[in-house]
This record gives sequence, structure tokens and C-alpha cells, in this order.
Amino acid sequence: MSFRRRIRPARGGGYELRLGAEERALLEVLPLQLVSLLGDAGDKPPGELPQALRRLLPPAYTTDPDAERSFVSMTREDLLDSHRESLETMSATAKATWLDEDQLSAWLAALNDLRLSLGSMLGASEEETEPPAAHSHPAEWIAYLYLGGLQSELIDILERTLPEPIPGADDLVPEDVWGEPPGGLRWDGTPQPRDQ
Amino acid sequence: MTTFSYGTTAAPTEVEQPETDEVVVPELPWLVIVWNDPINLMSYVTYVFQKLFGYSRPKAHKLMLDVHYKGRAVVSSGAKERAELDVARLHQHGLWATMEHSG
Repeated sequence: MSFRRRIRPARGGGYELRLGAEERALLEVLPLQLVSLLGDAGDKPPGELPQALRRLLPPAYTTDPDAERSFVSMTREDLLDSHRESLETMSATAKATWLDEDQLSAWLAALNDLRLSLGSMLGASEEETEPPAAHSHPAEWIAYLYLGGLQSELIDILERTLPEPIPGADDLVPEDVWGEPPGGLRWDGTPQPRDQ
Repeated sequence: MTTFSYGTTAAPTEVEQPETDEVVVPELPWLVIVWNDPINLMSYVTYVFQKLFGYSRPKAHKLMLDVHYKGRAVVSSGAKERAELDVARLHQHGLWATMEHSG
């Protein structure tokens, strides 16, 4: 079986989309389900959000509840709008055969949002390439892995459109302030699960 | 749980004090940290660092590897408002970013 690119630059500019009817149906419906879920988020702190939304609305301050509350009140509405906009763009153009660059960027963001949401619900771990046997949500697993494949294709294409690096930007990043890994911590300070 | 300190990178440098009554307290920078997660693709994280910060591909790739293997990396620093803006932009791209005062 030969690998067929599903997305490729079109001759006159923009991008050609070659997806099957089932794929398009999924890409139309899934984003709207997530948009509807986002409707309940309001300004709830991350700890009170459903699992499927936590990765989409993460905390900025993990040790200062007052600062976190003020950050949420400042940024939550924009963050929700940004997620919704990408998801709605992908849903509305799921049946298109051609996309411009902005629409393709929206697809990239929407695919990432869907994977963050599905992956958190499923308890995804790294390097997972197939659904675990007897998993209770096989359909969601397949969707999760499918979206990851499509997202990889989009990244390959969109990284060619990145502007030139900003001169000197690399030098402004602080040195690795921690030195060697302490074993790896998650954002909340708990250790990363170890690879075998 | 492992504890860690910020080492010496953010040590304030000594400056000559101007001879006025005003005491100028230099603002210590805030650090923007991206944390590892099992969902974001490595190629995506590299792409976002290039897109948002204008880093070269090798630098963005190195930061991504730090996130992946060390659990987190400092990806930018600056005044509080600047750090909050960077965190918000990273959140809009689905990355797990937090900020901490380096003092």
C-alpha cells in the first residue's frame, strides 16, 4: 500500500484536501461536541473543570490562588474564543477540497484541542500507537490516533511556512535553570510516570 | 518529591546606585515554564516554540527535548505582564505553561 498524502500544497496557492467521507464526517462533528462542552467552562478554576477540558484551560500560577484567579478573569474569555474559533472553522470546512493557510492553521489548532480533550479522557500515555486490548473506549482511541496522524501531516506542511527565526531570540532564553533532571515533574509538582 | 532551586542564573548584578533619595527596585524576571505531557506531539511543540518566539529550529528542538526528557523547560522570561502574555499564547496553542518568579 502506498502512502497517499491527504493534504498538499495546491498549485495556485493554498492547500488541497483529499479526505474520505468518513474522515470528513468525523472532522465535522467532533469539534462541535467539544465546542458544546466548552460552553460549561465559564471561569471555573482548572481543578473544577471536567477532565476533558482541563488540558485546554490549564493554570498559569500553581502556587498562588489569588494570582491564578486574576489570570483566569483576564484571559479565560479570549482562550475560550480561540479554542472555539479553530474548532468551528474546522467543522465548517470539513467538507472543503481546498483551504487557505489561515484555515489550515485553524485545523492544526483544532486537531490539537481534540487530541488534548480525548487524550485526557482516555488517560493517554506517551508512545501509545494502538488501543490497549479490551479498552473500554475503542472508538475514541481510534479517533485519537487518527487525529494524531492527520495532525502530523499538517505540521510537516505548516512548518515550511514559518517565518525566518528572529535574530538573537535564541540567546534570550535563560539557561537551563535546573540542570540535570530531577526525574521529571508534572506541572503540579508530582513526578512524571516513569517509562519502563 | 524532588525540590529544586533556581541556581545562580538570575542573580542580580551589582549596579552603581544613583545618588538620589529614590530607591529603585529592579524587577526580577518571571520565568515561563512549559511542562511535559503525554499528548502533545514532539513536532508540534517544536513548531509552536518557533512560531511564538521566533527561535531557530535547533533551539526550539532543544527546548522541546528538555520538556520531554527533563519534564519542563524555561522557554522565556521577562516582566510579569510579558510572562503572562507568553503563558496565555502558549495556552492558546494547547501547551502546558505556568509562570514563576525567579527571585
